[in-house]
Amino acid sequence: MQSKLSDIDLITQTLAGNQSAYADLVKRHQRFVFTLAMRFSKTREDAEEIAQDCFIKAYRSLASYNAQAKFSTWLYTIVYNTAMTFLRKKRIATDSMDDEATFIQVENHQSAFDTDNVENKSRSFYLNQAIEQLLPDDATIITLFYKGEQSLEEIAQTLGMETNTVKVKLFRARQRLKEKLERNLKHEVKELI
Amino acid sequence: MNTIEEKLWNYIDGTCTPAEQDAIALLIEQDDVYRKKHQELLLLNQEFAAIELDEPSMAFTYNVMETIRTENARQPLKAAIDKRVIMGVGIFFVFTILALLVFTIANIHLQSSAFDVNVKLPTSIKLPNAGNIFSSPVFKWFVVFDVVLALFLTDSYLRRKRATKHA
Repeated sequence: MQSKLSDIDLITQTLAGNQSAYADLVKRHQRFVFTLAMRFSKTREDAEEIAQDCFIKAYRSLASYNAQAKFSTWLYTIVYNTAMTFLRKKRIATDSMDDEATFIQVENHQSAFDTDNVENKSRSFYLNQAIEQLLPDDATIITLFYKGEQSLEEIAQTLGMETNTVKVKLFRARQRLKEKLERNLKHEVKELI
Repeated sequence: MNTIEEKLWNYIDGTCTPAEQDAIALLIEQDDVYRKKHQELLLLNQEFAAIELDEPSMAFTYNVMETIRTENARQPLKAAIDKRVIMGVGIFFVFTILALLVFTIANIHLQSSAFDVNVKLPTSIKLPNAGNIFSSPVFKWFVVFDVVLALFLTDSYLRRKRATKHA
């Protein structure tokens, strides 16, 4: 029964002092928040740290949440800001992810993983691999659009950008993702031959 | 100025105007290049929509709730005090000050020659002898209790400080 409650109901219960309602809210959004965190951190440990931090921050400021907006949009804004702060703290420049050195590092890391899982490779594996090679902003927009059930306006609100900017960024992100996906698949075909 | 791909993505996302929508639909129907590209982008769109979400560790929710519980437990006492208690204490003091002020003003005798302020407490009020209070055994036990309490609190404060330092 509890899982059928809306986000707003769970928030109301949490604010009334029912902590298990907040645990339900965490369970409901944890996969998406964790995935978004993964777009920035690239390691599971850091992503878990970011995601946990987000839920704790959200809990602290739950009273200030405006029920007019979707809870997910509000939560994703916290995730984005927390992840950006995390990146700044770790001194990883966002654009350096596209540097040759980093790309080679990511590719090597993936190659090591590939050798153990050649049999299990599927199209979705290559898709996830390609997303990992994108810039954090591109990967975030793609994830928010396809998995976050967010409209362009809501994504713009989450990222603090204009809707048109998000539209252009989404278009470019899709192009880059397509390129990376094709490159990874070509590379794999060559390896198999 | 949009490229074919951009136009088609807008068409697939439904972000173009109804007029543009109709125009692109017609192009897809009549133009081979548009039709092929549209098919390609539709497949890509399906593929992107099938992105799998990552799964955090099994203890994720537990860890979040545990951190929240610990934070709540660590809340300083001043934050845990009911605001109504503070308000009540404040109202008591304000009321007392106001009562004293009214009493003082009521006792001021304005005369033409001099400004005479002669506040006299009502004779019915009997204040206890201060000397008796400080020499009574109850007061001595009160002081002893306070000293023990102060030592206990200092000890627990220092222990906490040391534990934080080691953590």
